Amino acid sequence: MRVNPNPLPDTLVALAQTQQQINTDLQQIASGQSVNVPSDNPAAAAELIQNSGQTSEADQFLRSAGSVQGEIQNADSTLNSVITSLQRAISLGVEGANGTLNSSDRAALATEVTGIQAQLISLANLTYQGNYVFAGTATQTTPYVLNPSSPSGVTYQGNTGVNSVTLGNHFTLQTNVPGSKLFSAPGNDMFQSIQDLITGLQSGTGISTAVNEVSSAYGYIDEQRVFYGNAVNQLNAQQTYLNSETTQLAQQQNKLGGADLTVVISNLTNAETARQAALAAVGQTARINLFDFIK
Amino acid sequence: MSSLNASLATALSGLIAEQGALQTTTNNVSNVNTPGYSRQQPVLVSSDPVVVDPLTFGTGVTLQSVESIRDPILESRIQQETQGQGQFGSLASALQQTQVNFSSNSGDIGTSISNFFDSINQLSTNPADLSLRQGVLTSAGNLATSLNTTANNLTQQRSNLDLSVVQTVSQINQFTQQIAQLNGQISTLQNVGQNAGTFIDQRTQLIDQLSSLVDVSVIPSDNTITLTTANGTSLVTGQQSFQLQTQANSSGLHDIYAQGVDITSTIASGLVGGTLQARDQQIPAIQSQLDSLAAGLANSVNGVQAGGFDLNGVRGTNLFTPPPISGVGAAATISVAITDPALIAASSDGRAGSNGNAEAMYALRNQAVISGQSPTDYYSGVIFNVGNATANAVAEQSASALVLQQLNDQRASISGVSLDQEAANMVQYQQAYSASAQVISTINSMMQTVINMKTS
Repeated sequence: MRVNPNPLPDTLVALAQTQQQINTDLQQIASGQSVNVPSDNPAAAAELIQNSGQTSEADQFLRSAGSVQGEIQNADSTLNSVITSLQRAISLGVEGANGTLNSSDRAALATEVTGIQAQLISLANLTYQGNYVFAGTATQTTPYVLNPSSPSGVTYQGNTGVNSVTLGNHFTLQTNVPGSKLFSAPGNDMFQSIQDLITGLQSGTGISTAVNEVSSAYGYIDEQRVFYGNAVNQLNAQQTYLNSETTQLAQQQNKLGGADLTVVISNLTNAETARQAALAAVGQTARINLFDFIK
Repeated sequence: MSSLNASLATALSGLIAEQGALQTTTNNVSNVNTPGYSRQQPVLVSSDPVVVDPLTFGTGVTLQSVESIRDPILESRIQQETQGQGQFGSLASALQQTQVNFSSNSGDIGTSISNFFDSINQLSTNPADLSLRQGVLTSAGNLATSLNTTANNLTQQRSNLDLSVVQTVSQINQFTQQIAQLNGQISTLQNVGQNAGTFIDQRTQLIDQLSSLVDVSVIPSDNTITLTTANGTSLVTGQQSFQLQTQANSSGLHDIYAQGVDITSTIASGLVGGTLQARDQQIPAIQSQLDSLAAGLANSVNGVQAGGFDLNGVRGTNLFTPPPISGVGAAATISVAITDPALIAASSDGRAGSNGNAEAMYALRNQAVISGQSPTDYYSGVIFNVGNATANAVAEQSASALVLQQLNDQRASISGVSLDQEAANMVQYQQAYSASAQVISTINSMMQTVINMKTS
């Protein structure tokens, strides 16, 4: 049987193949990735795109949650101050309702409550990063201004708008309660009750009714404050969830596209051995033929 | 009854024949590394006998011809496989260049899509903030740029491939011209009964090279061959070759014409076939997917913009330039239509603090806005298609290379020059030559005997 008298091209192909394997292995070791171009594993490359999209989204949700958190915590502690102020107004009102006080004592109390009113306006005009927090979506407009001609003593210039921010794939969080609902809710109008208290203290009539109004507003706001407390809790829970999602996505990414170094290094060793063997074979063949033996 | 002179002539025929045989060995050894060379073999036949009644005597040996050892069927298999090899080789190499545009990096389309939606989500936390609005404009600009860059790279690659088509066609024309010339030389030699082996080797080699460029059919006829393209148009008939022409079409790419007929779409294999496949099918398919992606993104974002209000309470205008109605070229031309960050319509109620429309825009991230898929899912589909097409072409190329290697091995085992065999032949011819010379020397001494007989 006649065989191919010149196997050198085949040997060169074998050498090129082992070299190719070595290059691939080295690239995987250097990059730590088994999918360096889409053709390395088209399905995994496509999943990696989705994975990196999800990772980016989860990271963004964490950043947004952080941004929202500051505003909500600020609002929560501001409402705390509002409640303290209202408590003080109630005790002033109770003091004023005591029949033993004369008109100048009550006027002094009225002045103090007026101070509280100013404080409350200032608290209700809380800004966070350049936005009025309790103005609904009219965040660029001062929500409460003093207005002696208004029955409640103030004018609400905000609106009833609320914002919700998406912070997870199936999770949106309402981030604000407008002043119209918090401080100026019909039937529980905080500023109205404070104005009534001032008027009562000044006139000496209807003080107890006004105190009841303030107490009622106090209770209402305390109730509304739960919204912010809940929001803080939800944010914390969502952050925990997003962190674990990020970890899972990273694990999945590694599973899809990470190079298994143990396998790659073992492949590399095999390829190098094969290459050395092929090289040795080429060297050994040394092109000896019959001509060398004919003298 | 035979004469000494006749014996001398018979012995001489041996000398001449063995010398000729040795010449083929010499030629084989010289051509041991010549590509496409088929080993030659002397055809020795015994000369016609003479009848010297009542006996019949042989008259020695004749070197009738020198024949090249080859297997035409195997060679035609090699030519076919070479066409496939050329096709998948050029396709794989083109797609490998294409897919570089789709490997993950900080500026790739997938990352840009993510960054764009990330910036909108961030804006949603503080819709009146100008720096966050600027962030959305910047990431929208980056998204447009990454789509532009990729689309332009693909267009550039197509015009590079087009250049390669034109160059390859001129190479094809050179080959067909040379083959036609060889056809002439071969038939001239064969018509006078000469061995045209060397020319046939050259022609086979040229057909192999031509096959790596384009799919040709080889039709052997008397002493010559006819080459046609896949659709039957003649490239070479006898001593005449027909040139292929290239002509730019409306899209600026070149079509291939054979004798006035556009044969571009009929060329399926060879380097030209693979290049055309990449230029006219695979890359345009990817471009059109990118166009859908760009158009889908631009239209859906613009649609949401129109439903909201900007920072000044004015109804939103286009964020991206509207894509062409047909969608063709959307990826290459998409750009950000506004420069003032205040014009982003984040508000749903006209107030600066409202984020309702920013939320609606963010929701596009996971909405089926492009062919029933979300932008990222659609893009991951593009990645799969690119990767899959490349991986297939590379696999086909490797498989075809393996087959071709085996076929070439087989051809070498039939036609390749073995130095061992040539050495053995040389010894054999040398010994026969020595023997014939010895016979002549013996006849010489017999002649002497006869001559001396007279003088003594």
